[in-house]
Amino acid sequence: MTKLLGDVVLDMRGVRKRFGKNEVLKGVDLTLQRHEVVCLIGASGSGKSTLLRCCNMLERIDQGSIEVLGTELASPRINEDLVRRHIGIVFQSFNLFPHLSVLKNVTLAPRRVLRTPKGHAERAARELLGRIGLAEKAGDYPDRLSGGQQQRVAIVRCLAMDPSLLLLDEITSALDPELVAEVLALVGELADRGMTMLLATHEMGFAKEVADKICFLEDGVLVETGTPEQIFSAPTQPATQRFLQRIIDAGRL
Amino acid sequence: MSGGAPAHGAQAAPSVDEVGRPTLLRRHEPALAGWRGVAASTATTLLVVGLIVWIFVSPRSAAFRQVFFNGHEMKVAIKGDQSQGIVSVVHAFWINIWLSLVCEVIVLALALVVATTRLTTGPILRPFRGLLIVYTDFARGVPLILLMLWVGLGVPSLYLRPISYQSVTVYGGFVLVFTYTAYVSEVMRAGILAVPRAQVQAARSLGLRSSQAMRHVIVPQAVRNVLPALLNDFISLQKDTAIVLTLGIIEATNAAQIDSGATFNYSSFAVAAGLFLIITVPLTRLTDNLIARDRARRLAGAA
Repeated sequence: MTKLLGDVVLDMRGVRKRFGKNEVLKGVDLTLQRHEVVCLIGASGSGKSTLLRCCNMLERIDQGSIEVLGTELASPRINEDLVRRHIGIVFQSFNLFPHLSVLKNVTLAPRRVLRTPKGHAERAARELLGRIGLAEKAGDYPDRLSGGQQQRVAIVRCLAMDPSLLLLDEITSALDPELVAEVLALVGELADRGMTMLLATHEMGFAKEVADKICFLEDGVLVETGTPEQIFSAPTQPATQRFLQRIIDAGRL
Repeated sequence: MSGGAPAHGAQAAPSVDEVGRPTLLRRHEPALAGWRGVAASTATTLLVVGLIVWIFVSPRSAAFRQVFFNGHEMKVAIKGDQSQGIVSVVHAFWINIWLSLVCEVIVLALALVVATTRLTTGPILRPFRGLLIVYTDFARGVPLILLMLWVGLGVPSLYLRPISYQSVTVYGGFVLVFTYTAYVSEVMRAGILAVPRAQVQAARSLGLRSSQAMRHVIVPQAVRNVLPALLNDFISLQKDTAIVLTLGIIEATNAAQIDSGATFNYSSFAVAAGLFLIITVPLTRLTDNLIARDRARRLAGAA
């Protein structure tokens, strides 16, 4: 199945990022078109998270360029808050606001950033929560929810801003195995609805299923890019082959 | 004993778990169960009661009570009597109450500003940060009573309008705010630092400006983190309002002292102490409850 892809949402060229002496990204090129789902795979420390965090300016890049919706992030006149309105990010550890109810977690940004009237924001939030089956949890605090429920609320919190691009940073890694499926099901549903997503994941089976494009990262270098069939069935690079062999040996593919 | 091996003979038989394996844990049992608990609490009660009786039957006890805890004199100090130069301690206590409330509100607002300024990282505010470090060190390091005298005597002698022509209550309030803002700002700074960085990142990622993230995400969690400590400081402030007596303000403690001079009886001090306790004891209980609840919540969260 091929999707009809739209204009370019994210365009990274020669992105380099170092933390002290440690160069984490060594010149990465990556393009995402509207409705495209791209999975970053690779060992821990290969630079997947850093790559995602550069896209919404949680980290500043040292060299290269990142264009989001045609705007160059390295521009000195960039308004990072404006950029972030269009990019949602979901973290490994959910990072819901523990002092706010589920509903307030979802409505905070629409109300404060977009100035959406309270009633309107709450209606929209309840509708989103209803779609993930958590309508009755709207008044609860995050610590009353399971990890899977919290992560789904975190996704909905991003969706409430109607983002053009969703970044998912190993969002199932902190979950108990039995809770992974419900979160992945939601991400799959978003992919079906045409959400543009860039995700870092260790769930190879899921990546194979949901991704339009797989990128294999090793030591900050984008070693190989291709369709799931190409990467998982016939990887051309020795590094990709070694990585996938380790995954298969571990019984995770 | 050398070698560090435990003295097996001195130990009770090791506990065993459900399936009979020995465990290193003490079996869960109520502390000092049975007669030992009864004996211990009886001994403690006897000791305390004995001490009180010992003071009461001492040869000078009756005279002591007459001078320090005389019921009639207490009533006089509560009501006051202008014709005799006796000031009502209760009336004077209102100064302690409103002064502490007004100061607390200002302290909380200023302390938040100080704490957040000290936590900024930009180069523009660097001189302010340095200044604030000097300020907190100074305000926390100098005795409150010394500052009170210094400001109360020094500022009027500047003859500088308008600051040198304020009422002593303003000077007293200023010194209380000056000192307590330093303490409270440190409490708030600790509270803000205890909020995980990921919370800021989550807020900023949603498009919130740094000031909005501070206001809606960080500060509410920070205050929750340190609410017991803030209440503790408020209790201290409430008590320290007594120190404005050094400026001649007739608050409860000063009133009690005036009354003792007029009646040659110190029972007015018991009245003042009682009034402070009426305010501080409920606050202290509330603080302890909050700490207990917070601890229970943390333990539940860790499980």
